[in-house]
Amino acid sequence: MIAPIIELREISKQFPGVRALDRVSFAVREGEVHALLGENGAGKSTLIKILTGAYQPDSGEILLRGRPIRIPDTRHGLALGIAAIYQELSLYPDLTVAENIFMGHQPGARWRVDWRRMEEQARAILQELDAGDLDVTQPVRGLSVGNQQRIEIAKALSQNARILIMDEPTAALTKHDVDRLFEIVRRLRERGVAIIYISHRLEEVFLLADRVTVLRDGQVVGETMEVSKTNQAELIRMMVGRTLDTLYPKEDVQAGDVVLDVRNLCYGRTTRNVSFTLRRGEIVGLAGLVGAGRSELAQVLFGITPAESGEIRIEGRAVRINNPRDAMALGIAYVPEDRKNQGLLVQMNVRENATLAVLRQLLRRGFVDYDAERRLTQEYVDLLRIRTPSLSQRVGNLSGGNQQKVVVAKWLASKPRVLILDEPTRGIDVGAKAEIHRLMSALAQQGLGILMISSELPEILGMSDRVLVMRQGEIVAELDRAHATQEAVIAAAMGADDLRSEPLPA
Amino acid sequence: MATQAGRLTQAHRQRGLFAQQEAVIAAAILVMTFVVSLANPDFFSATNLLDIAVNTAYIAVAAAGMTMVIVSGNIDISVGSMLGVCATIAGELARNGTPIPIAFLAAVAAGGLIGAINGALVAYARIPAIVVTLGMLSILRGGLILVTQGRWIESLPEEFFFSQRSTLGVPNPIWVMIAVTILVGLFMKYHRFGRAIYAVGGNAEAARLAGIDPRRVYMFVFVMNGLLVGLAAVLYASRFTAIQSNAGQGFELAVISGAVVGGVSILGGTGTVIGALLGSLLISLIGTASIFLKVSPFWLQAVQGGLILLTVLVDVVRRRRRA
Amino acid sequence: MTETTIAAPERSRRANLLRTQEGVLFVVLVAIIIGLSLLSDRFLTVNNLLNQTRLFTETALLALPMTLIIISGGIDLSVGSMLAWSAVMLGFSWQLVGLPLPLAVLICLLTGLLGGVINGLLIAYVRVPPLIATLATLAIYRGFSFGISQARSARGFPEEFAFWGQGQVGPFPTQFVILVVLIVIAHLVLSRTGFGRWVYAIGNNEVAARYSGIPVERVKFTLYAASGLMAGLAAFIFTSRVTTTRADAATGLELDVIAAVVLGGTSIFGGSGSIIGTVLGLLIITLLRNGLLLTGVKGDATFMVIGLVLILAVLINNLVRRR
Repeated sequence: MIAPIIELREISKQFPGVRALDRVSFAVREGEVHALLGENGAGKSTLIKILTGAYQPDSGEILLRGRPIRIPDTRHGLALGIAAIYQELSLYPDLTVAENIFMGHQPGARWRVDWRRMEEQARAILQELDAGDLDVTQPVRGLSVGNQQRIEIAKALSQNARILIMDEPTAALTKHDVDRLFEIVRRLRERGVAIIYISHRLEEVFLLADRVTVLRDGQVVGETMEVSKTNQAELIRMMVGRTLDTLYPKEDVQAGDVVLDVRNLCYGRTTRNVSFTLRRGEIVGLAGLVGAGRSELAQVLFGITPAESGEIRIEGRAVRINNPRDAMALGIAYVPEDRKNQGLLVQMNVRENATLAVLRQLLRRGFVDYDAERRLTQEYVDLLRIRTPSLSQRVGNLSGGNQQKVVVAKWLASKPRVLILDEPTRGIDVGAKAEIHRLMSALAQQGLGILMISSELPEILGMSDRVLVMRQGEIVAELDRAHATQEAVIAAAMGADDLRSEPLPA
Repeated sequence: MATQAGRLTQAHRQRGLFAQQEAVIAAAILVMTFVVSLANPDFFSATNLLDIAVNTAYIAVAAAGMTMVIVSGNIDISVGSMLGVCATIAGELARNGTPIPIAFLAAVAAGGLIGAINGALVAYARIPAIVVTLGMLSILRGGLILVTQGRWIESLPEEFFFSQRSTLGVPNPIWVMIAVTILVGLFMKYHRFGRAIYAVGGNAEAARLAGIDPRRVYMFVFVMNGLLVGLAAVLYASRFTAIQSNAGQGFELAVISGAVVGGVSILGGTGTVIGALLGSLLISLIGTASIFLKVSPFWLQAVQGGLILLTVLVDVVRRRRRA
Repeated sequence: MTETTIAAPERSRRANLLRTQEGVLFVVLVAIIIGLSLLSDRFLTVNNLLNQTRLFTETALLALPMTLIIISGGIDLSVGSMLAWSAVMLGFSWQLVGLPLPLAVLICLLTGLLGGVINGLLIAYVRVPPLIATLATLAIYRGFSFGISQARSARGFPEEFAFWGQGQVGPFPTQFVILVVLIVIAHLVLSRTGFGRWVYAIGNNEVAARYSGIPVERVKFTLYAASGLMAGLAAFIFTSRVTTTRADAATGLELDVIAAVVLGGTSIFGGSGSIIGTVLGLLIITLLRNGLLLTGVKGDATFMVIGLVLILAVLINNLVRRR
């Protein structure tokens, strides 16, 4: 057996209320592509952060070439040859390609950066990455995501990274760029670099990886396997694992008239020819991988990025939605995915947050009617059981679940006909989650049409009357409640060819 | 022809010292000199052109420091008061019989000290640069008047007037301007720490991950800026027979305008010292040209303001298109 | 992350007073008044205090919209220039064009509004960063003042015109009455209306504000336009007070205004602040300046104290918040 270059032994990491990693062990060899699989929240990102030095484990040890090490911070990690490429790239937009690669460790004498040598070396590294066509003297601003990612990889290589972690590297890439990336990954493997490859796309695992480790709920499922000895169906089973719990109180509702009817909606590359309908009393789940275009679709419907073409009908009437105000006037509400950045004013209080979207209705000659505002807020605080010491509590001081309820309250207060919920229960505790699910069910019964985006399969399956699956900006499957199984949804989301097929050649 | 032009910009990029904006401003300076000279041949005389350069020198020297500050993602609006304080220090010391070189050095050192205070407040106390330097502007301006009681500094020794003399037939301020531009330009282009300024201004978080401490960079740019303002103060003070107590009022605007017109983006991360020099030159040139063209000098500031706005709009549009 | 953030229990109101910036400022203000009245017996007299209001009205008028602008996350550096431009238009249209005075006053107000509208368009719709947009218009509007007036001042306004800047309503200076009315309006708008809520929301989190259907562009535009209109009004009162319109009027006034607002506890990053805080900040600055003058400190030297107070206020605020 080949000795691993890096090995994790019994690593645990606890966050308040969550055990993110529970005695996780796995090892990576030189010159292998090691795929790390798992649903959202399985513990992958915590694991990466421990490897790069961004987090410290509570217990367990890390061995580099057989010797135990500590990685106090990311700079240290880099010095040890461990580099990570995140989905969010960290580049200097106005500096050249060469400089982006070498910033902080430029070649040359002590007091002088040798630009020519730096550019030559940059060119050489990019050549190795089969990206020799990139002009190293060009500023990074305006380059495609694929090219920017190549620069990130080059950056890692320029520091002699021997262990390269790639977090969902293909999420934002075009087909062509994905092919080139695979080529690069294979070259790196030939050079003996150990690659930890994180992806949601199973097909990629079979195309690229040598071995695969599956994480679920902070634990390694089974053990690391050779990719050639497994198949997609088995991996999906390992990732999903648990049986559907009964947390989901979705009650059957007789769906009413079509309230939202979308036809051939297009926006850029992220929303491509999307058509679907939503009825009163119906909860439609929108499933898909990160980057499949679900939130982007919601933003088109809500007028944040108005549609470039296509048709939207509300209760049969063709409408045009150019901004959130148009959407709100039509009775559309959108609880966004990123609570802190898109949903809340964290320094303002519960009352001010809850009434923000309906403030106009609470004005009397321009002045806020405080009594009405308090009444309205109290009504939703009671309805949603928001636990807050007072209505004037700063929202930033509430727990995640209560913060989310405040955002939901803001939108329920607008009395919408169509409610779009984007990851409504992300990062909140089980109790609050159940409450939000109960609420969704009750709202549907009252005749609201709900479009729910979620990356949690049990939630999608448990709450939806119908499931739409998106991949690369398109709706690729529509499954009704009876036919929506975990396997079917994942298969559609990942574009797996056939779940019963034998393992693909790697 | 097209490919040749393409290769030309390619060459410019590789030189790096000349990005697009600098080339545009340089061309504007040439065209303007040419056109104004056609209208009034007196404009194109050595005396006049040297005069424009001398007028620009102290602005350009400070603009070199401002370039570093703005590239790092900050701003310094206290440079006007700083100029007044440093000029007064040089003048007072010289009048009291201090050897002139020491008086000059003291002015530069005072600039460095003030810059260090600004820098420490921005980098370590984390007060936004605009608040710090706004406060510093008031403190220095008030302190100056408190000390000078509004009196002008006159009857300076003959030796003091460094800026009125020439070396090898070229006025001293021009030498200083050229030297500062080259040195700061080389530093920002070729020194690792110079490059770190761009890194911090472009993406502070990425710079931190690359092992650069943004706080050290902020401290450094403010100290350097202070030193250069001190030097500019020497050029300024030694030019006229008296130093007024309100010296440097509005200077910050001239310096920031020079840098911004020269392509230093107010959002940080990009811009060069040569650009700042050319920007400052262009603004001075417009000033002198309007006199030769018999345009009312009173419209001058509006024209200069319009120029700033124009360059900013171009920058905004360019960024949006490439974003 | 789940149930760990325990909601802070509500503290008693008494403890809260000293926790708010306004509370601290109020205490500082009282301390200053006591201190200064001990230093000079001419300080704490009704006459002296009422007279002070004449001198700070223009600054105060501009500080009202500036408070809202800074809360929304912006800044307006062009207010001093807008004031000068408006004043010049008043003098110009009355003296040179020969329009009736009321019409000239209207033109003065509209000029300020125009300046503000241009700022608003640039910032809200073209999305030029406010700092740089208003830096450019600062130069442009000042240039307009000089260009239109050709640096000539207009004077010789009729007796009755002096009412607005020198007259009295009962025992109070006219402009004091106007100011108080506008302070009340600004306070109500900011703290009680939907518009005020939107201003806070935008400064707090512009994305979330947009996602909540707030017309972000329109709100920003309105704020800058209001700032311009207020500059026009300040120009009118200023002209009536000093009985002359000069192109260099109110140079650097923007710094006083911003200093008062920031001193008043408005975060330069936006999202928090109040009109009451700004008024307290203004009072502190004005009384400090006046008190120091009465104790024999020379005019502009009082700037020094103001700069110091500004930096210290933010520094202390930073330290308290970080804890």
